[in-house]
Amino acid sequence: MEERHVDIAGKRIKLMTGGDPAAPPLLYLHSAGGETLWLPFHDGLAAQFHLHAPAHPGFDSSGGLDQIDSIEDLAFHYLDFIDAMGWREVSVVGLSMGGWIGAELACRWPERVRRLVLVDAAGLHVDGAPMQPLWDHTRDHEHMRRLIFADPTSMMAELLIPPFDDAPEQLLELGMKAAEAAARVAWNPYFENPKLRGRLHRIKSPTLVLWGELDRLIPLAHGRAYAELIPGARLEVLPGCGHMPIFEATEAFCRAVTEFCK
Amino acid sequence: MDFYAFHLMPWPHLPPDFEQRHDSAWIWPPTALYDPARGEGLYNRYLDELEYAETLGFDGVCVNEHHQNAYGNMPSPNLMAAALARRTKRVKLAVVGNALPLYDPPLRVAEEWAMLDVLSGGRLICGMVIGGGPEYYSYGKNPTHARAMFYEAHDLIMQAWTQPGPTEFRGKFWQLRYVNPWPRPLQKPHPPIWIPGAGSLETLEYVARKRYAYMGIPYFHLDVFARNFDLFREACHKQGYTASPSQLGYLAPIYVAETDAAARAEYEPHVTYFVQKLLKGLLITPPGYTSPRSMLKILDAVKKKQFMASCESWDDLEKGDFIVAGSPATVRDKLFRILDRLGAGNLLALLQLGTLGAELTRKNMDLFAREVMPALRARYGSAL
Repeated sequence: MEERHVDIAGKRIKLMTGGDPAAPPLLYLHSAGGETLWLPFHDGLAAQFHLHAPAHPGFDSSGGLDQIDSIEDLAFHYLDFIDAMGWREVSVVGLSMGGWIGAELACRWPERVRRLVLVDAAGLHVDGAPMQPLWDHTRDHEHMRRLIFADPTSMMAELLIPPFDDAPEQLLELGMKAAEAAARVAWNPYFENPKLRGRLHRIKSPTLVLWGELDRLIPLAHGRAYAELIPGARLEVLPGCGHMPIFEATEAFCRAVTEFCK
Repeated sequence: MDFYAFHLMPWPHLPPDFEQRHDSAWIWPPTALYDPARGEGLYNRYLDELEYAETLGFDGVCVNEHHQNAYGNMPSPNLMAAALARRTKRVKLAVVGNALPLYDPPLRVAEEWAMLDVLSGGRLICGMVIGGGPEYYSYGKNPTHARAMFYEAHDLIMQAWTQPGPTEFRGKFWQLRYVNPWPRPLQKPHPPIWIPGAGSLETLEYVARKRYAYMGIPYFHLDVFARNFDLFREACHKQGYTASPSQLGYLAPIYVAETDAAARAEYEPHVTYFVQKLLKGLLITPPGYTSPRSMLKILDAVKKKQFMASCESWDDLEKGDFIVAGSPATVRDKLFRILDRLGAGNLLALLQLGTLGAELTRKNMDLFAREVMPALRARYGSAL
């Protein structure tokens, strides 16, 4: 894995890359939680691709949040990123907020997105199955764990979201930065672009919608809506998994992405 | 020294098990717990108490803005100030404040405050606030823009008041082709501006630079006030002037009774209601509302019991000077000690708190005005 900072249209962006530079590139767009440290799922994806995992503006050590006011600004930011990498097109995998960015990108510039994988993606409102509030109890980490993980009592869940009072300051600070950068575009309307639904028909990229069966934060109904609205999209449900397949179904997630984007 | 009677107009009828059954008195307390029929009596009683403050010789009265909560039932303090403008003749009307980013466009604030200033014959004091964290949930405004919106709204209001109109305003959050308010304020160049803060350096420096007045946000340990006021004086010094005591305001719950024992017996249940029920949820903070550094500082203060909501006993409350309660002599001596240390020229006295009823509130006000205020005026100088 290599970590560096790159200039993207005036924003200083943290970029992690891994895998064979000769392999096809894959762009991973992270969630609002900010998984911007190299993790086992990154290795899984880097086995077949030259994986690029940037931190969105305002997350981790990425700057440029002052240039971001809306999800559209993030879509343009990733158009700039794709240009800066010199790619004519690239496969895009996005989790949660990252999936939302991927969808916004692909409906504007479908010719730049080779394959699109939306994983437990935000971005839509679905009547009767709303996305749950992520920021109502930010200091209640037990509540947060129940929202994010199918099994909130697992060691992994405890490790990733420790009890608030035990959390090291550095982790809290990183989490607050992530929440700020996400809230900048997702506070209200809440993780939703009301215009997106009517634009999804413009996506021409082959699309896989990958969803945790037991996602309590963004219910599976959102996955069904994406699969219906994007022409030719296929929905694959990961059984027994919550909002974060990268953690709770790492192998199945990496396998599905690899097979689809190969 | 100027004396202000501050009222929160709280809801005193929450059920005894409220804090066991509900997360917070802010954002989500069920509306079923508000009873408009009881509200009528309350509003009128609370306004009577502020009007009574004029009779007792206070220099001003304070109202403030909060939304969708049981802690303070004044979503529009400007309405209360309007009622007070007609029923008082002398006191300053301190609206502390209007949460500028919640007004769209904030030109509305410039207009309503100009109305109040003209109507009251130039008695208005304008408190400009960002609004509490919970308010960004209640009003849907983006908390990550709170500070930037606040500064821009301030600039718009100042432009409206001080530049001959019509003018044009081009900001990031608001664009107005015509800024041309009728009426404009009576006080020139504009009414006094008060800005509250909880110690953020950015706010301190801003207030110092503008030569406005800095109000310490209450419910913190006295040490926190002292540190922030020292920082403010330092910030003014850096701007090349010495801060005047009139640029500093200290807000505290005060209760005076015949004896210390009587003060505790009469006041404790009402403060307890305030701490356990009404303060619950006050620190719910949306993402980006404060910097991670400031937030960690606030959380640290809570951990160290430097925030009123973490008080578990009367002793805790007294030790940190979260309340100033006792016999007239006790309250006087405590305020001497506190004001000597803080050097604040405005005392904002919260004389009704939580469930404190009409009778005890009046007695508290009477005793404070008769037995405490004269000693403070003698020591710190009189405005009258």
